[in-house]
Amino acid sequence: MRTFRNTLSIALVAAGAAAGYAIPSAAQVTLNVVTAGDQNMVDYVNQFLGPKFEAQNPGVKVRAVGTGPGDAGSQKILEKLEAQQKAGSTAWDTDVAVVHQRGAATMVKENLLAPYRNEIAAGKLVSRDSATNALGQNVDGYVIPMFHSQIAFAYNPAVVKTPPKSYAELAQWVQKNPKQFGYNGVKGGMSGVGFVMGWVAANSGMGAQLEKGPYDPSKKAVIDKSLESLRDFNKYVVLTPGNAGTLDMLNRGEIAMGPVWVDMFYTWVADGKMPPNVKLELPQPGLPGQPMYYVVPAKAANAALAKKFIDFAASPAIQAEGIVKKFNWYPGIDAQYVKSQMDDKSWNKLFADIPPDTLQQYGRPFPLSQYFTDILEGYERVVLK
Amino acid sequence: MRPGAAALGETLARTVVLLLLAFAIFGPLANLVLWGFAERWYFPHKLPQEFGLTYWARVFAPRGSALASLWTSVGVACLTVLVTLAVAVPAGYALARLKLPVRTLILLVFLLPQAVPNLPVYVNIARVFYEINLNGTILGVVLVHASHGLVLAVWIASAAFASVDISLEEAARNMGASPWRCWTSVTLPLALPGLIASAIFVFLESLDEFTGTYFVGVPDVTTMPLLMFNASMGGNYQIASITALLLLVPSILFMLLVERFLKADVLAAIGR
Amino acid sequence: MTDRRNWAGLALAAPALSIVAVFFVAPLLMSAVLAFRGTDGGLTFAHFAKAFEYYSTDLWFSAWIVTLSTLAIGVVAIAIAGYLTLGEHPRTVAILRWLYRWPLFIPFIVTAQVMRTFLAKNGMLNHVLIGSGLIEPLQAQSLLDWRGIVIAFVWKQAPFVTLLLAGAMAAIDRQHIEAARNLGANRWRVLFGIVLPQARRTLMVGLVLSFVSMLSVLSVPMMINPNSPTMLTVDIAYRINSHGDYAVANALCLMSLVLASFGAWFYLREAAAKKAEPK
Repeated sequence: MRTFRNTLSIALVAAGAAAGYAIPSAAQVTLNVVTAGDQNMVDYVNQFLGPKFEAQNPGVKVRAVGTGPGDAGSQKILEKLEAQQKAGSTAWDTDVAVVHQRGAATMVKENLLAPYRNEIAAGKLVSRDSATNALGQNVDGYVIPMFHSQIAFAYNPAVVKTPPKSYAELAQWVQKNPKQFGYNGVKGGMSGVGFVMGWVAANSGMGAQLEKGPYDPSKKAVIDKSLESLRDFNKYVVLTPGNAGTLDMLNRGEIAMGPVWVDMFYTWVADGKMPPNVKLELPQPGLPGQPMYYVVPAKAANAALAKKFIDFAASPAIQAEGIVKKFNWYPGIDAQYVKSQMDDKSWNKLFADIPPDTLQQYGRPFPLSQYFTDILEGYERVVLK
Repeated sequence: MRPGAAALGETLARTVVLLLLAFAIFGPLANLVLWGFAERWYFPHKLPQEFGLTYWARVFAPRGSALASLWTSVGVACLTVLVTLAVAVPAGYALARLKLPVRTLILLVFLLPQAVPNLPVYVNIARVFYEINLNGTILGVVLVHASHGLVLAVWIASAAFASVDISLEEAARNMGASPWRCWTSVTLPLALPGLIASAIFVFLESLDEFTGTYFVGVPDVTTMPLLMFNASMGGNYQIASITALLLLVPSILFMLLVERFLKADVLAAIGR
Repeated sequence: MTDRRNWAGLALAAPALSIVAVFFVAPLLMSAVLAFRGTDGGLTFAHFAKAFEYYSTDLWFSAWIVTLSTLAIGVVAIAIAGYLTLGEHPRTVAILRWLYRWPLFIPFIVTAQVMRTFLAKNGMLNHVLIGSGLIEPLQAQSLLDWRGIVIAFVWKQAPFVTLLLAGAMAAIDRQHIEAARNLGANRWRVLFGIVLPQARRTLMVGLVLSFVSMLSVLSVPMMINPNSPTMLTVDIAYRINSHGDYAVANALCLMSLVLASFGAWFYLREAAAKKAEPK
């Protein structure tokens, strides 16, 4: 059977080669970077990071593959690593992965990652809480944030002259302007989930406890109560199909305001899909944000090279030129190292709509994972019934 | 009513119905083409304000490896068709002509891969493939695509053989043809149109598949639909539209090529 | 003799069967057991109870959407295939034959994407309707709810069924049709009295294949309307991606499989009817 399979493999590979599939030459080392998130993450590695890293390291080829936006993308990476762990593979096919918080937390818990931050120079440059803590899971040493992203309201000032400054104002505003606010529920992506988390934090009076703990299962009733007001709120709003769906409806002028990921928003602006007058705003008492992390799988085939790559990617010069200047993302490492690498004009562009102190004050982490689950299931029970 | 007026009315009705159908089919497709070339398009503009080829340049950027993955897609699809037909033809013949225990059950087993939401299943396939070192190989991807496309090939092949008139085979045998000769010169040619039609469907299934490809192929085998999936889910309409348009080319070429063999679209009695 | 033919048949079917068994059925069973396994490793139905508690609405919604789509696909396929077979205007037949196939080449996910921008409130459909004076701007409404899902499904799957059905109809002996026409039957009578009954099985199979594959498509409901009520595939993805909860996800998968087996039941019934038929 085995020989049969081998013969078949050879025949098929030969046929595949004949069909035009190029087999990479063996002399090179290929560094496999698998990234969750939008296509621009793949572009970032392929068009920007990859060529620079290859120039410094002859014989290395960087190959980036995307797994799709949102937690679904991170989950797919998790599943692939898990499959290799269960299969007992010794050299995993992913060298560097870029994942969301939830994915990283689970990967650390399931021993799918290798600690590396303390082994590289750039590891000392991180300062955010999220570099050590992901949704309550200790991830210290396993991650370096690639960039930080934030959920904010995007609004069209032509329609919304004075945007609501808080959730309470928003609740009144939607009654006067029905079907002008849109968000994507909880099943279509994290910008909608983040809005729901922010709503509960604002209306349950337990904002700090949601972020810092302790976890108390009896608080479910309090959470459900705050979700009841969200059910009423939903009568006046549009539910959009996914993170991109909210941006899509802003694009066609079907809604005037909605919660979006700031990084996605800027991509839509750059791709000519957003009216240029649309602005961002961060309401009180805040909306969640989260970083994308660089991680190294526990048995990455090229672990040493992977660490070198991340050290390079998280260096201040690259963060300044690539993350901030080219993509308008908030830097992953401490801001002071990045700011000193660039001109003020490009730096200030980051904060055109949301000033640094507002970001500091109202950019919140996501709740602890147990609360996260309680809120999502509460939403399904209370709001969707 | 005069006969001329009736004919005119009928022509008019026919034209209107055809135009409506054309709109229903090409309206959504027009969106695809527009987004493929739109550089700027937002409210309140009903059509793109600016057209260009920037995104085509991005898709075809030397490091984007779009062409390589398109070739991989086509190669995988061709191999999938070969593997699928190689096993589906005997299976289809057996299901059509020979007495088989639990025949219906066998037909239904082939339906399973289409019937189950397959995300949780692929996770397990990936695990098994890692164990037997099949992950990241073209063969692995082809086998997963084949298991997905087999229902079409087996059901259609079985139908094609069932519709071949047995008396023709008997006549050939009576004239002294060996069973093999009878099969290759009578049965197979008569069933060929159906088999070819099944090849089209299997090819299209394979060309558009992404979940299985991700779990058993990535990062060593990447195909075009992976790019399309990421772009489309993330709302990168330009990139998604361009990849979809690119995938149209092999689909339509394959259809045209195959239809040269297909005299009329004779697809009688599928699934009998 | 019968025994030997039995074995010969099985041997011929074995390669194909083993591909599906090894590369799909076995992994399917591996994940299906998770739906019955409790945290302590014992047998439990708690995951099904939870799946029912949270997602029974979506179960019925999925069943309804897919049934409605299947019926609509059937109507469209009969209409187009019927005209291709019986139409008397050669040019119309030629145009129609060229026209109807295009969506075959468009993957589900792209169908979802184009429908999202086509059927939206400020989408192209409404622009055309308003531009041609058929509706007032204020009447424009978004079709991106259950209607959008049904439209996307019918648009994508009707050509597939039509292609199969038209083939089956073309294979029917023209003499039957000519004889009926000579006796004065009109085209409707010929279609429903002669052509369709003979091609019924092909139609059924095409519809069963569409029914089950629509049930397992994620991208269309995900991109058109992932909000409640939505289809089970969205809930499965949500349980996995937001909760890492494979147990309930697999329970939902099995529930979806039960829905699919209703489709298969039609097929079984057809197959049984065929056996009873005298040759």
